[in-house]
Amino acid sequence: MFSFISQTWAVIVMNVRSLPRRLWMSLAMVLANAVVVAILLAFLAMDKGFEVTLKGAGSDDVALFLRGGSAAELNSGLGRDQVNLIATAPGIASNANGPIISAELYVIVDGIKRSTKTEANLPLRGLELTGIEMRNGFQLQEGRMFTPGTNELVVGQGVLREFEGFEVGNTLRIGKSEWRIVGSFSTGGNVFESELWADLNVIQSVYNRGSSVQTVRAKLSESGQLDAINAYVENEPQLNVDVQTEKAYFAGQSKNLSYMAWFGKIISAVMALGALSGALNTMYTSVADRAKEIATLRTLGFSTGSAFLGTLVEAMVLAMAGGLVGAVCAYLLFDGLNASTLGGSFTQVVFSFQMSGDLIAQGMKMALVIGFVSGVFPAWRAARMPVLLAFR
Amino acid sequence: MNDFYLIYKNLTRKKLRLTLTVFSIFIAFTIFGAVSALKGSLDSGIEMSADNRLVTVNKINFTVSIPYAYVNKIRAMEGVKDVTHANWFGGYYQEPAVQIVSMAVDPTTYFDVYNELVVPDEQMQRWQSNQTGMLVGARLAKVYGWKVGDRVPISSNIFSQKTGGQTWDFTVDGIFDAEDAKVDTGYMVFHYKYFRETNSYGGDNVGWLVLTTTSSDLNEQVAKSIDEAFANSSAETETSTEKAFNKAFLEQIGNIGLIIFGVVFMAFFTILVVVGNTMVLAIRERTNEIAVLKTLGFTSARIFKMVLIESLLLAFIGGLLGLGAAKLIVAAMSDQLARFLPNIAVGTDVIIQALLYMALLGLITGIAPAINALRLNIVTAFSRG
Amino acid sequence: MTTEHLFDLQKVAKRFVKGKDSITIFDNLDLSINKGDFVAIMGPSGSGKTTLLNLLGGVDQPTEGEISFDGQRIDKLSENLLAKWRANNVGYIFQFYNLMPMLNAARNVELPLLLTNLSSSERKQSVATALELVGLADRAKHMPSELSGGQQQRVAIARAVVSDPKLLLCDEPTGDLDRATADEILKMLQLLNREFGKTIIMVTHDPSAAKYANRTLHLDKGKFVDRELAA
Repeated sequence: MFSFISQTWAVIVMNVRSLPRRLWMSLAMVLANAVVVAILLAFLAMDKGFEVTLKGAGSDDVALFLRGGSAAELNSGLGRDQVNLIATAPGIASNANGPIISAELYVIVDGIKRSTKTEANLPLRGLELTGIEMRNGFQLQEGRMFTPGTNELVVGQGVLREFEGFEVGNTLRIGKSEWRIVGSFSTGGNVFESELWADLNVIQSVYNRGSSVQTVRAKLSESGQLDAINAYVENEPQLNVDVQTEKAYFAGQSKNLSYMAWFGKIISAVMALGALSGALNTMYTSVADRAKEIATLRTLGFSTGSAFLGTLVEAMVLAMAGGLVGAVCAYLLFDGLNASTLGGSFTQVVFSFQMSGDLIAQGMKMALVIGFVSGVFPAWRAARMPVLLAFR
Repeated sequence: MNDFYLIYKNLTRKKLRLTLTVFSIFIAFTIFGAVSALKGSLDSGIEMSADNRLVTVNKINFTVSIPYAYVNKIRAMEGVKDVTHANWFGGYYQEPAVQIVSMAVDPTTYFDVYNELVVPDEQMQRWQSNQTGMLVGARLAKVYGWKVGDRVPISSNIFSQKTGGQTWDFTVDGIFDAEDAKVDTGYMVFHYKYFRETNSYGGDNVGWLVLTTTSSDLNEQVAKSIDEAFANSSAETETSTEKAFNKAFLEQIGNIGLIIFGVVFMAFFTILVVVGNTMVLAIRERTNEIAVLKTLGFTSARIFKMVLIESLLLAFIGGLLGLGAAKLIVAAMSDQLARFLPNIAVGTDVIIQALLYMALLGLITGIAPAINALRLNIVTAFSRG
Repeated sequence: MTTEHLFDLQKVAKRFVKGKDSITIFDNLDLSINKGDFVAIMGPSGSGKTTLLNLLGGVDQPTEGEISFDGQRIDKLSENLLAKWRANNVGYIFQFYNLMPMLNAARNVELPLLLTNLSSSERKQSVATALELVGLADRAKHMPSELSGGQQQRVAIARAVVSDPKLLLCDEPTGDLDRATADEILKMLQLLNREFGKTIIMVTHDPSAAKYANRTLHLDKGKFVDRELAA
């Protein structure tokens, strides 16, 4: 056993020493692996960033009511009567002011993107202070909260980052009305940071919405417990709403961009095949290049196993090197990269790419698979190399 | 035997290496073709927009509606040829996940403004006189196998019927198509009047207006006079060319698109670099043979040509196979994607680009070894071997 | 000037520049070779015999002096004209055969004919004749890797003579072969010299190979050591 290990080690050392002879081929293999891993990671990091942004927004403590069949906040619409019916539902927590609910309405307004200087959709959400308290991790960063009943608004950090002209203290003209930006807020990086917030009643009157709203959020008396509410909704014929926890709603919304992850996985899988054939070329060349050495070692009494493992390890080392280079590049290029795109509510979602250990592990796994497959066949050839070759 | 036979024999001497190299190139061009087609499909709205077509939306945002009265006011303006309007219906078929791009439009003017869309006369007449009829784009019709005369229920995730429920019944009165395959026909249109009279919201508001100018030179002037006419009203407008509007909409998807296409094209070029490297090395191994050919009296120019043709051939074999595969994949996916994307196809421009890259790959990988062969000194070549 | 001489070398010098040093291979070398001669060039390694062969074969050019072939100067020809000249006049036989590994024997022999205007059927005829001459008609379809060293060298000889050049240049043609096979090859060269009137110039280490030649030149440090033979 010891002899096998030392034999294999000797072969590995020889292979690595002879690498400079095949410098370009080996570098090409490293590069191919690096690109495949970097691409996979780019897509995964984007998907992850988007998912974190949306999923982080949802709370298990909050129930979200939408008009039946509307699927997204934008499409939903609820009259005052519906809101009142919801308020009387069981299972909703209350305080001194009665049940803790927040009726909300948003309109889409234009903002100018810093990156492209073009107009893009932003949600201007009208809500009440109870609604703000329901947001996970809400924190005022700058200035103050809007005063109910006035044309004041507060701006999310994401909007501030990606869009022009939303600095605290600015005045904003939207349609015919003017708005004063009195504060900025953060909600820990989730999707609410891509919004502008103002008083519900002001939004309703400025945009002629009467007393109608789009959604109702309600604080649950028991986290995640919707049974009582569901039963109530079903038995109330005047109520046409869908209920889910806020968490479930955003989990569904985050699937919107999951096609990106799929696209990325397919592209990198196909690319991996391309890289694999490049790597196989490299390894077959390596075996051919070392044919005489391998045969000589075998003549000296080295086992076939050591010739096999030596080649396999060479391939894995090169692939790993490529994977590492790819992961480092992807990390430097993409981690924290700010992006924004159209989310499920037809408004901009500002998010940043997130690289994490488990994603990098996925990338390295891919590199190792490529390394293994590209090593095993040439290694088999090396192991069966006729000893006679040494004498030619 | 001739020079081509020699090239062929050189190319095929190591079958495994040839296969692997061709496969790498194949993969690179498959990705290039498919992703370019995808990108082209996204951009087709910009490419296909008419020069003299303008879009008027609410200044607040294009999702905010405008009073119907604007239609006739704009129609009366100087330089305006045809005006039509549309409302987003938010339609789906049977299940909310199966979204159908559907719009309530003015049946008398819509196809004047979008004159690249063609409908048989009798179908058009039937539709115009049937308030509950719809015209379906050829591609949408194909996806669901809808035929003229079919009754199709379409639901809305935004609107409700006055009578309750969110499903409207339509009759397929006709199918519109376009001569240019890039024109989007993956949607359906129906009567605005039917929509207005049956939906529970009420109100005579349209989503946006589309108009043509008598000449594209007048675009700016017309856009300006429209927006000025409604300035300081309850619904201010913003008018831009169709091209600018589509472009801005695409940019909403944002730098994500840029990042994705950037990453994929970088990958494409990296594969080519990797493959090119293999190809250069493969020819370098043959230094001795090239020296022999020269000794026999083959001129340098002739050997130069043979080396170059060999690498071009390799690039084109892999590349054309890849492009073919991309075409097949795109054709197969086209129906699957019909619901999400405008017509997707590997267009002539993509093919030309791909051919250019193949030529480039062949030339770049061939030129270095070919020049080496050209310069190769027989004496030093043999003393090295 | 009509002449009995196939080659006339006058005051030929060959120098290489290697780094800062200039290495002289020969200086002031005179040599004549008659038509129909079979000349062996012998000498220790580094004596310049391969360089001389390269000069005679037109793959290398002298630094100074004149080389005439059949009354025509070849020392100043352009690379392209030299290539053409080689194709028309010279058959090469190498120590390591230098067959194209991806071509079968017949196609290897046919290679030089691609440089002529012969039709495909004429080429086939010539190839068959050449292979017949070296006794390998039955191996026409074999790949070089399926042939022994001696057989490969015979294919190389067939390739050298297929376009019927006046001159055969051999660089250690038997250097890689065993004695018996070497003798076979040398006999074949002798036959080509005697029966077909080919002028043969052969570089060799091996005195017994040189015996097949009718003239032997000894080269040492760029000079012919036996002046009477070189005259």
